[in-house]
Amino acid sequence: MSVAKPLPHEAAKLHVTGSAHYVDELPTPRGTLHLAFGLSDIASGTISNMDLSQVRSAKGVVDVITASDLDRPADCSPSNHDEPLLSDGTIHYLGQPLFLVVADSHHAARRAARLAKIDYTKTTPILTIEDALAANSHFEEGPRIWEKGNTAQALETAPHIVEGEIEMGGQEHFYLEGQAALALPQDDGDMVVHSSTQHPSEIQHKVADAIGLPMHAVRVEIRRMGGGFGGKESQGNALAIACALVAQKTGRACKMRYDRDDDMVITGKRHDFRITYRASFDETGRLLGVDFKHYTRCGWAMDLSLPVADRAMLHADNAYDLPNARIESHRLRTNTQSATAFRGFGGPQGMLGIERVMDHAAHQLGMDPTELRRRNYYTDGDTPPKQTTPYGQQVDHFLLNAMTDQLAQSADLTARKAKIAEWNAQNPHLKKGIALTPVKFGISFTLTHLNQAGALVHVYQDGSIRMNHGGTEMGQGLFQKVAQVAASRFGVPIEMVKITATDTGKVPNTSATAASSGSDLNGMAVKAACDTIRDRMAAHLADLHQTDATEVSFVGGRVSVGSAEMSFSEAAKLCYEGRVSLSATGFYKTPKLAWDRIAGQGRPFLYFAHGAAVSEVVVDSLTGEYRILRTDILHDCGHSLNPALDIGQIEGGFVQGTGWLTTEELVWDDSGRLRTHAPSTYKIPACSDRPDIFNVTLWDGENAEDTIYKSKAVGEPPFMHGMSVFFALSDAIAQFGQGYPALDAPATPERVLKSIQKVRG
Amino acid sequence: MYNFDVVRPTSVDEALSALSQEDAQALGGGQTLIPTLKQRLAMPTTLVSLSGIDSMKGVSVDGGVITVGGATPHAVVAGEVADAFPALAHLAGNIGDPAVRNRGTIGGSLANNDPSACYPSAALATGATIVTNAREIAADDYFQGMFTTALDEGEIITSVKLPVPEKAAYIKFEQPASRFSLVGIFLAKYADGVRVAVTGASNNGVFRWAEAEAALSADFSVAAVEGLSAPSGDDMISDLHGSGDYRAHLVKALTKKAVAQAS
Repeated sequence: MSVAKPLPHEAAKLHVTGSAHYVDELPTPRGTLHLAFGLSDIASGTISNMDLSQVRSAKGVVDVITASDLDRPADCSPSNHDEPLLSDGTIHYLGQPLFLVVADSHHAARRAARLAKIDYTKTTPILTIEDALAANSHFEEGPRIWEKGNTAQALETAPHIVEGEIEMGGQEHFYLEGQAALALPQDDGDMVVHSSTQHPSEIQHKVADAIGLPMHAVRVEIRRMGGGFGGKESQGNALAIACALVAQKTGRACKMRYDRDDDMVITGKRHDFRITYRASFDETGRLLGVDFKHYTRCGWAMDLSLPVADRAMLHADNAYDLPNARIESHRLRTNTQSATAFRGFGGPQGMLGIERVMDHAAHQLGMDPTELRRRNYYTDGDTPPKQTTPYGQQVDHFLLNAMTDQLAQSADLTARKAKIAEWNAQNPHLKKGIALTPVKFGISFTLTHLNQAGALVHVYQDGSIRMNHGGTEMGQGLFQKVAQVAASRFGVPIEMVKITATDTGKVPNTSATAASSGSDLNGMAVKAACDTIRDRMAAHLADLHQTDATEVSFVGGRVSVGSAEMSFSEAAKLCYEGRVSLSATGFYKTPKLAWDRIAGQGRPFLYFAHGAAVSEVVVDSLTGEYRILRTDILHDCGHSLNPALDIGQIEGGFVQGTGWLTTEELVWDDSGRLRTHAPSTYKIPACSDRPDIFNVTLWDGENAEDTIYKSKAVGEPPFMHGMSVFFALSDAIAQFGQGYPALDAPATPERVLKSIQKVRG
Repeated sequence: MYNFDVVRPTSVDEALSALSQEDAQALGGGQTLIPTLKQRLAMPTTLVSLSGIDSMKGVSVDGGVITVGGATPHAVVAGEVADAFPALAHLAGNIGDPAVRNRGTIGGSLANNDPSACYPSAALATGATIVTNAREIAADDYFQGMFTTALDEGEIITSVKLPVPEKAAYIKFEQPASRFSLVGIFLAKYADGVRVAVTGASNNGVFRWAEAEAALSADFSVAAVEGLSAPSGDDMISDLHGSGDYRAHLVKALTKKAVAQAS
């Protein structure tokens, strides 16, 4: 059976030979037009005059379109209808698209866009958390507040109060393939759109709305993306809509891709957060109550900020049983890019808040941080005592006590701590630090109706299988995992299964490939479709051989029917000749979910994925520089569908999470201009930045819930293992003095140095 | 880019003749100039490539002085002086990336005098002589502030003479994204004293840290630097990659490291 085998990525060969096709590489029809946006140069205000005459007369320009040229408003928002494709005269951020240039080449369009002469009436932009609070610039009516128990009381009488705040920066997705779309006008006004998107159904929906046609007239296709990370969940809408509008108007194919600088300036990023905390602990290190305030800059439009901020609140407990907790979340509207989905979707930010509390408390109480964490963990096991998250979900099948034990042993944590203490005693300028951080991440979309998926499977008369589902491939290996499911259901080798592009014409009403749910949802939908066909085949073959369908088995590319045996191809041919339908759809909806986000109560998640990481770092007190020396990760993928792909996701997630907390720094200047809009100023981790010793192990277990082959989702959870590096840095810095480092993220060398100076007092 | 012509002279005289034309511009390895042209920040009518002038290429070591032809790429310097002047080889071998090191030249770097470039610190710390088609310029007179040098219009750096120190070290704190120096320290110890040149830090380009030189000339030890105050952060570059105060702190910290490494 191909499930659970460490097969390579389905397109690995195409990736490494450069022959994998992305949207920008699709052959385009003759006369294809190319689009570029003209962007705002101020962060807040109105347009008093827009002189586009030089843009219109520039070489290669076919048309220039402003908002007033559109027949109907074109909206790009995934949520709130607050993102006009082109400015309606009001400017919300520096980089906002104001007009659209249509030209005969990509470069002609971009060059011409620079020739606009725009007069603005500037207003004072809201850029910082302070600005937004002062202006009461919130999304929703105000802060969202969830509470469990009586936090005020728990904070009143406690022996130890731990108090502070942590700032954490945003993060640019830096997908290697930038945003891109290609619209091809069809017969009778229909539109085909190739879009580099994690959410083809939304592209279809938004394009249909913009060009004034029912969804049936728009078909969206995507074979693969060169990375998504959440940055292609809603951020592709503008390009697809622009291309479709112009294609409709001109009858010509239209293509658009953002240059990297434009991409970074226009599109949303991870939400930055400030989290303040006040927590109480007893003498043994047990947390009694915690009061969190989350402040996040959502940017100019709502986009996905509400569920992102919700998920931050939903992970304010991480692995810890909080008897009393109050979480207040401020979703602030600012004149910056509209912050959006990014791997973890707010979870990492919320989790970093409670991990900071644990680290701070251990320092203040003089306890070992791992021990203090352990004392606050939820209880392991299938039938633990009643233990609920701050939002009321019972925590069953918790694994982190056992996982922490195993990891501490495999990483030799106790002995290494002793060695590090010895080493530190002998080195005045360099200090090492080590930290173990746990991850418990909730799996399911918190908007419950999104937890559904469809699939379409065909078996041809030669036995080959063509498979389609609503998930998208962005390098994570979803297509291979789902193909393994299909191959396993039919008992055939993986080569018999053809993987095909995601296509809204084949599987409708899909959810974004997001929330780590790709394999969980689409694997189940494909399984359902395959089983439908397999059962029909079994029934027919049983009839032919005068036996019962339960006597038919599909194993090793062979089909046994009672005592008879044939190849799968022969079986397919027999079924075709027997007029059996060899095509089926499959559908899946996640069970057991019930969630009230306003009350903050219910079961938003089917299950939790777990993991833990130990990282060791060395810090240089002269410069603030540091290196990651070793990282050990133990991660829970349930019964892995593909250990090779899962380990790849864990390694990549850790590296990306570490980048968020160390080198990746977004800088806006006082006018609201993003100054880090290219790889020359914004540093993502490279292969050479990973730890020299990097051990990743999968937890040997299976999902207690009935997921696809008992596996667990793996996309987002490992991202948060980067926290182990952050708290190892904190541990190392603390060796230089008595004070608590209270490190902010990203921990650039300059911040580390400041923190060292602070602990020295 | 705007349109321009390219000429490729094979001698210094031909190059000078070509450069005497209006709006002609010398082209070294093009690692700074070509991106500048792509951004349309310059509009020369003619680029005079110096890469075909054999007399301006190569490295020689003679009597304690290393002479590097102005058109010699960094990678060649890194290889040729590995034994004679390891600190210089280390500097040349860590500039930019392989493309920059195989195209970029010492003459181009010094003529451009980018405040974050590596080579100016080596030239200044060694008290190098910048040899042009017309004259010899002492490094102390050559660097005149960010992107400003003593070169006249149309003057070409034909070679650079660097006296080999007794001890030396180059320590670069890289801005991690671009790998330019956030601060770079070139330390060179000679029989008659120590020179410390700092790149990447100052608003005025490469400079010598006089207090450290005096202290180290009297006592070549980390302790000698320890007693100094870091230079003021007020004149230091303050940007998204680091504050002026942080750069000032790094000047002292990296100087100590350089002494420790050279000792």
